Amino acid sequence: MVSAFTRILANHHELVHFNVDGVDCVAPAGEPLATSLLAAGYLMLRQSPNQHTPRGAFCLMGVCQECAIHVDGQIAQACMTPVRAGMDVQLRGVV
Amino acid sequence: MSTLHDLIVIGGGINGATTALFAARGGMDVVVVDRGPLCREASGVNAGTLTMQMTRVALIPYALRAHQMWATAREWLGHDVGVVVCDGLSLAFTEQEAELLTFRAGKRREAGAPITLITGQQALQIEPGLSDKALLAGHCRVDGYANAYLTGLAFRTALLDAGVTLMENNPATDIQQTSSGFEVVTNQGPVRAKRVVIAGGVWIEEMMGWLGIDLPIKTLVNQLAVTERIPTAMRTVVGIANGLLSLKQYHHGTVVIGGGWQGVGSRDGGACSLLPERLVGNIRLACHAIPALKNARLARAWTGFEAETRDALPAVGPIPGITNAYVIGSIHSGYTSGPYLAKLLADQILGREPDLPLFPIDRLLTPEPHAQG
Amino acid sequence: MSRSSPHDFDVLVLGGGPAGMVSAITASQHGLSVGLIDEQAEAGGQIWRAPWAASSGKDASPEVRDGHKMRETLARSNVSCLFGRRIWSVTDQYRVEVLGADGVETYQAPHLIVALGAHERVIPFPGWTLPGVMGLAAATIMLKAHGLAPPKDWVLAGVGPLLAAVAAGYARKGHPPKAIIDLSGPSDWLATLPSLASRPGLFKQGVGWVVSILSSRIPIYFRHAIRRAEGQDRIAACVIGPVDQDGHRVAGPELSLDCDALMIGNGLVPGGEVPRLLGANQVYQHELGGWIPDCDRYGRTSLKHLYAIGDGAGIRGGAVACSAGQLAGLAVAHDAGFIDAASFARQSVQPLTENQKLAAFSAAMAHMIRLRPAQVASISPEAVICRCEDVTRQDLVCAAKAGARDVNQLKHFTRCGMGPCQGRMCGDIAAEILAQEHQVSRQAVGYWTARPPLRPISLQSMLGRFEYSDIPIPKPAPL
Ligand SMILES: Cc1cc2nc3c(=O)[nH]c(=O)nc-3n(C[C@H](O)[C@H](O)[C@H](O)COP(=O)(O)OP(=O)(O)OC[C@H]3O[C@@H](n4cnc5c(N)ncnc54)[C@H](O)[C@@H]3O)c2cc1C
Repeated sequence: MVSAFTRILANHHELVHFNVDGVDCVAPAGEPLATSLLAAGYLMLRQSPNQHTPRGAFCLMGVCQECAIHVDGQIAQACMTPVRAGMDVQLRGVV
Repeated sequence: MSTLHDLIVIGGGINGATTALFAARGGMDVVVVDRGPLCREASGVNAGTLTMQMTRVALIPYALRAHQMWATAREWLGHDVGVVVCDGLSLAFTEQEAELLTFRAGKRREAGAPITLITGQQALQIEPGLSDKALLAGHCRVDGYANAYLTGLAFRTALLDAGVTLMENNPATDIQQTSSGFEVVTNQGPVRAKRVVIAGGVWIEEMMGWLGIDLPIKTLVNQLAVTERIPTAMRTVVGIANGLLSLKQYHHGTVVIGGGWQGVGSRDGGACSLLPERLVGNIRLACHAIPALKNARLARAWTGFEAETRDALPAVGPIPGITNAYVIGSIHSGYTSGPYLAKLLADQILGREPDLPLFPIDRLLTPEPHAQG
Repeated sequence: MSRSSPHDFDVLVLGGGPAGMVSAITASQHGLSVGLIDEQAEAGGQIWRAPWAASSGKDASPEVRDGHKMRETLARSNVSCLFGRRIWSVTDQYRVEVLGADGVETYQAPHLIVALGAHERVIPFPGWTLPGVMGLAAATIMLKAHGLAPPKDWVLAGVGPLLAAVAAGYARKGHPPKAIIDLSGPSDWLATLPSLASRPGLFKQGVGWVVSILSSRIPIYFRHAIRRAEGQDRIAACVIGPVDQDGHRVAGPELSLDCDALMIGNGLVPGGEVPRLLGANQVYQHELGGWIPDCDRYGRTSLKHLYAIGDGAGIRGGAVACSAGQLAGLAVAHDAGFIDAASFARQSVQPLTENQKLAAFSAAMAHMIRLRPAQVASISPEAVICRCEDVTRQDLVCAAKAGARDVNQLKHFTRCGMGPCQGRMCGDIAAEILAQEHQVSRQAVGYWTARPPLRPISLQSMLGRFEYSDIPIPKPAPL
């Protein structure tokens, strides 16, 4: 069993449920989605569109586009997207 | 004394490069001089659409033959430039557009383009990605696209293989007529040749000026945009009746959105810029035609210069009054037709009878007639 | 597109990091109307980035506290904060197109200050695209803003002060890395000491980092670099090997370290896209991170009323960014006629002096994180350089051999830089590889032509609501 990313910031935000490829996940509302996904053990977020190699969040500042996934049917960068209750997340990249 | 080449081509875009290639294959010692690398202006940044439905009627016979050349690029160029031959659809969304389309498709058909008119429903069967809003479509089997940014790589290799001397990143600044032909002044020194071809894209006006000839050229600043890779959204080339949309998806998944919406900028240098509201207009049109594009992200948008003579027809042929000097440029949808016209020009330079007539510029050198329609 | 008046503000400031915030506040204090645009929901930029959930004051780092303080000053000022807006186009006469929650908006001002910061440089190695390999700047964002610690077995690698800051930060939270792989040697660190003499605060902070790192007994591999990362769907191990002071691989044992995450960074690259897009003159300054707009000490570029400051105008760090912000704010106030020359000169003295004092330190830090050409020369042929398009070093070398001589030609030949990151992740390295292949300068191979959109944006969000008849379709092309 590999070790996981863990939360270290105390917060009093309400926990909300959202969906990742059909699996129920929980995270504090407003947390950056990339963080919630890492904490939930989702490191691989997509495959590169050309060679189809596994990719995960890399820069966390909106530049690299490696965490561009589908949120509620739209392409969104997970590092720039706050978690909301009922969000539907698909780890399939842009293609 | 430096070498006296048989031919110097000034400007290594699609027109200059193809002329050089066929002249060299015909046995000439050719040199190409370009200000930058080969095919990095219009010929490297264009939308790559190889279509009859945006081609001017007078150019259809040329475009059909050029299309055949593109389809077999691997054979004569050695590189396929990513050419895909596919169906093309030109759409009409309103009654007015349907009327325009009927008229234009008819004229192009008369000129030889195999365009048929079909209903929006039939168009949907050919292109399932289409919106259901089209009333009428022009359908043409002779259509397709190339990957324009590969043009430079392809021609570079082909020209070197054909023994052409390449002088890239070497601006020409003047032409002198000498007893043996021409001496072209370049940054890297004078280059001498018996014959000269002016193929400088939107800059041919300035170059013609070096020979004392006034050939006014209007500069179009065409905007283009491309999405990031997306799942298959379309398989055909899609345009609209008035010609202001061109859309196709490359095999790697990106969709190029064009149609000739105008940005701002001048060919004399300085920054060119896109007009954001026109980009938005172009994108609205694109998404209206292929709704799945809405989900894509825009990766990049850019502008490129296209040349236009006063009658919007090509300037291809000998330069009047100056023996052994030629010009080629200002070909509407010139990426499509350029290679064929350039081949014709090379034939003429090599002393062969061209299969189809050129577009000599004599008509453009007289004062502009008043009643212009 | 919504459009109020031709000029919405006297000056628009792009980027809400230290440089942008300070310049906005300064200009506003002198009576200019200021619009400050940033894509984040709050000001702060990378260094002062606000934690996503308010953190209790006591365990906040000095940067977080400085950020809070500056955000309070900003809130009390007259600056109009236009946050949560992604800038996608900037055209002349300083018309700025943004995408906000309500769609596309346009802002315009006669003066424009660009303070859009830098992005990270990572020297590629095989496996750097594996999930679990992340940037060093990403690590600081996780630490300070996102509130996340890497898995227990994590490795920290790269070069420069961020390495120490991240190691110490996580050590204090009880999540030290299992190893630090430092390209520098102790002598490089010692060489920076004299420059710290004038900065007692920073010196103290540095000592604190050292104490935290030493007391956590984190093994440090000086003069080592990552050779490759291994794993299937995520990183499982990284292999390190010795390098010389230029980053060149040298003989010596390789060592494999099992790990579940690797945080790596090799410095910063200025994000100069906006001045480039507008056509401002560019210069290549190796020690300042690469291509930057040619600016005077007030941030004035070669284009009238366009200013560039902060790391986007050359990597100088947060402290310099603040005084640069003051100077640009004053320069705008002067150039727009809000203060006279005498007052401009008088008020510039303090920030200019401050900059002078900081110069040695900021130069020492920038030197530490400079690009080492030898390290680029050591990149293996199979390493992916352009992550978006999976273009390898080998592909770039082939293109160079096929005649690509400038980076834009390289892009055409290979698709390197054509993906959605728009060449930000690969640009510096690809250009260096090309320059080395042809044995020419970085100036000779140039930089990517800047293109809008400045970040990818969805077509949907650009569309707005429209009827077909609203589309201003130009008149038909000639038949
Ligand atoms: C954005 C855009 C989209 C387009 N889309 C399509 C399309 O989809 N389908 C289609 O068929 N056509 C299209 N076109 C038209 C087509 O690209 C052009 O007609 C064609 O490429 C013109 O080729 P050219 O060789 O005449 O000019 P260019 O390709 O512009 O070549 C001219 C060359 O001259 C060189 N030069 C200039 N000055 C000097 C000097 N002083 N010394 C030396 N060299 C010099 C330049 O560097 C350049 O390489 C498009 C055009 C643009 C701009």
